[in-house]
Amino acid sequence: MQRIDPAEFQERLERISAIFANMVNHADQQSLIRCPYKNRFNQCTAKFGCRYKRRANDPMGLPICTSDDQLDYRSAWESDEPLSHDSPPT
Amino acid sequence: MADLKDIANEFIRKEIEEFIERPEERGEIIAVMARSRPSMQDIGAAIISGDHETVDRLTVAALADGMEALEVMDDGLINGMGIVGIKFRENYIFVPEVLACARAMKAGMKHIEPILSASGIQPIGRVIMGTVKGDLHDIGKNLCIMMLRGSGFEVFDLGVDTSAEKFMNAVEEYNANLIGMSALLTTTMPNMGRTIEAFIDADMRDDVHFMVGGAPVTPEFADDMGADGYGETAVECVEVAKRLVAEAKR
Repeated sequence: MQRIDPAEFQERLERISAIFANMVNHADQQSLIRCPYKNRFNQCTAKFGCRYKRRANDPMGLPICTSDDQLDYRSAWESDEPLSHDSPPT
Repeated sequence: MADLKDIANEFIRKEIEEFIERPEERGEIIAVMARSRPSMQDIGAAIISGDHETVDRLTVAALADGMEALEVMDDGLINGMGIVGIKFRENYIFVPEVLACARAMKAGMKHIEPILSASGIQPIGRVIMGTVKGDLHDIGKNLCIMMLRGSGFEVFDLGVDTSAEKFMNAVEEYNANLIGMSALLTTTMPNMGRTIEAFIDADMRDDVHFMVGGAPVTPEFADDMGADGYGETAVECVEVAKRLVAEAKR
């Protein structure tokens, strides 16, 4: 089996850590204005209920997020409901 | 000077064209991608797509073909992740996509780990991570896991709604002595303390260190519940984990 020089590997770890640290810092900033469970297709990936979730047209698809990100989305999160209401919040 | 057309992988070419706007970054990425083998570009493309199955398969094939593990890391996994980082920074993708890409990276790193082990390179520490009982919020925990793995920790993810029993069983199963607990709800936050109490009751408290985090958790609350460390962010989580591992070795 091939071998890896520990110093060389450490240098790669530092590069990976730097990339990831930039990502988590950006995620922290972004979470102030956009729900972190919302993907780029505005679908909700959360495993918990949220008042902003609406069922997708595709029954197999992820629910749609109807939040406009203008409000604190966390107040819409529910602790135990697995899925959502079918209508957007008023 | 390398040109976009020097990159064999069409998906990578399109990604650079569409998403990498800063000229200096574009030039740098084109240069490193152009000098990578096509098979490494394919791994990078699968990382960017968050396709963990393809990364898994291509990494196995590359190593079986005699490719150096460091080349797979540099030209496949890290190059791909570099583009993911830029797309995230520019808001073309969001946290769920980033986590899918991190999962794909882990699928590749899994095959490099035996080579690390054979080279005498051990993980910094072994960490069990979970969102506490009654809580289904996992983004913060998942970002911590991404950071910990990227920093050289071996992480066992118990997912969400994790009971004290699951944490205790995991300590024995994985032979890990560091536990990270997260909670997002004020209603579930006390379950962190209850988990620590369960370890005391089972006479297992001295075997492990606990670090805690989550939006409602404060350093004072962490102290009150008897945790050994508190991290406000995923970056801090790594620092706390390193400190606790060092303490455990003393």
